[in-house]
Amino acid sequence: MSEVAIQGSEGGNRRSRWRFIVPLIWLAALLMLAVGMTTLEPLFRLLEPDLRQVIYVRESFLVLLGQHVLMVAVAALLATCVGVGAAVAVTRAAGRDFMPMVAQLASIGQTFPPVAVLALAVPVLGFGTVPVIVALVLYGLLPIVRNTLAGLQGVSAEVLEAARGMGMTPRQVLLQVELPLAAPVILAGIRTSVTINVATAALGATVGASNLGDPIISGIVNGNTPYIIQGAVMIGLLALAVDSLFERLQPRVPGQASDGQAANG
Amino acid sequence: MIELFDVTRRFGDETAVDRISLRVERGEFCVLVGTSGCGKSTTLRMINRLIEHSEGEIHLDGQPIRDFQEDQLRRRIGYAIQSTGLFPHWTVGRNIGLVPRLLQWSGSRIQERVEALMDLLGLPPEFAHKYPHQLSGGQAQRVGVARALAADPEILLMDEPFGALDPITRQTLQGELRDLQARLGKTIVFVTHDMDEALTLADRLVVMHEGRIVQQGRPTELLRAPANDFVASLLGGDDRGLKEAALIRVEERMLPVAPEAEGMPMVRRHATVNQALSLMLWHHTRHLLVVDEDDSPVGQLSLDVLMHKARHE
Repeated sequence: MSEVAIQGSEGGNRRSRWRFIVPLIWLAALLMLAVGMTTLEPLFRLLEPDLRQVIYVRESFLVLLGQHVLMVAVAALLATCVGVGAAVAVTRAAGRDFMPMVAQLASIGQTFPPVAVLALAVPVLGFGTVPVIVALVLYGLLPIVRNTLAGLQGVSAEVLEAARGMGMTPRQVLLQVELPLAAPVILAGIRTSVTINVATAALGATVGASNLGDPIISGIVNGNTPYIIQGAVMIGLLALAVDSLFERLQPRVPGQASDGQAANG
Repeated sequence: MIELFDVTRRFGDETAVDRISLRVERGEFCVLVGTSGCGKSTTLRMINRLIEHSEGEIHLDGQPIRDFQEDQLRRRIGYAIQSTGLFPHWTVGRNIGLVPRLLQWSGSRIQERVEALMDLLGLPPEFAHKYPHQLSGGQAQRVGVARALAADPEILLMDEPFGALDPITRQTLQGELRDLQARLGKTIVFVTHDMDEALTLADRLVVMHEGRIVQQGRPTELLRAPANDFVASLLGGDDRGLKEAALIRVEERMLPVAPEAEGMPMVRRHATVNQALSLMLWHHTRHLLVVDEDDSPVGQLSLDVLMHKARHE
């Protein structure tokens, strides 16, 4: 039986080995740019012939990229744990009363501008990476909470009734039925959250967190357009790479998917 | 054996089930019928504790069901519902093997069991790898029944399992379920609002109305002696004669073939008496030749005998 199950579930997800080609292209472009930004100096010279310095060199782009990714990843991980956890909690019988409250809190989290969160967080948490991560978590929570709620509520009542009727424990129902069936919607929420935060994280440079926002802020302060472009292009490429990676990872539930035929495989 | 003693279920101020008592013997096919909202589904779901009873006691083989842990209780009771409730993200094989896996059977034993059940329910082996959305309604319902039978439970609860199927598939599955029950000897509690389905399947027919049991007994008993007008009209009103005839096979009423039977319109021996009556009306005849599957004569049926029999029952 386990054999049947494994074959079946993998058959549903198996696609060509080229599926990661698009995110890999974006990622390669990103890394090449991070390493070889200096080779583009003549190009930026054309743009601003009078500036003393047209390539941002205060820190290597590779390090900035790494720190940027790390900040977003830590924030995404925390936001996912908190967001999915909260949504699961309020869809259980015991937590149902808190559903409206959690949904509202998450909405407030996103209506609050991230700059304001940073401004408020700095006096409490000091300068640096921590307030940035706090802001990113708060800002990224809403799509995750909202999508997890939608995903869990979208699981058909009949399936849940059957699951209980067959004698699954509440935990088994959650882990084997509800979360797998809600996974595509939940992952879409995480994707939105992360993509937004790749851009939002750049604001962290204003409070002393070092990431791809640095060249942008520095460019604004010193009137250096090439710096701004370099930071912006890197962030844009990173967002594209992350987004297309998520797109490829998107799980599909047989029958709800566009590629229902893959289930035969 | 399932016993309900003065069982009541309230939802707020509303009493969905009102002090019902019922006893389903081991191996009995018990069908709960009634109009929608009469409490039949609630009654069914109280047996596996998907709904808790407010008052009274429910016993399984003499033991109160509240003595069992909910999950453990449900793994001992097969459960099939109208919408099948198959897990869309699992293959047919995995769906069927659900309860055995919950009971932590070994992988090879589960595999064997799944294959045996698919065979039993006439599902081709390659279906094990299909997903529920690739099945027709009838196939999905077979899988649902197979899943309910997976851990070989003594008791099977079925909530309108064939309600969403087309009439032909429904009849086929009814026949198969009947055979299955005769072979496996399961205790079945079956909810439906389709009276023909209830009459065909039931050993014991339980008519519910507004949360109470109005009457229970063998189908023929209820047809012959409905307790009140409600039961009479639910059972088909003036159609009851034909409904009763539908419970009798032609072969139970036939006489040996007489020479003059040659050339009479034919009826199959396994057909029901109401079908024979229909043929008589159609052919304007009082006599039919009873044949077996190969169309060779095995007897004859005459209207006079049917009338005579009916009078003396």
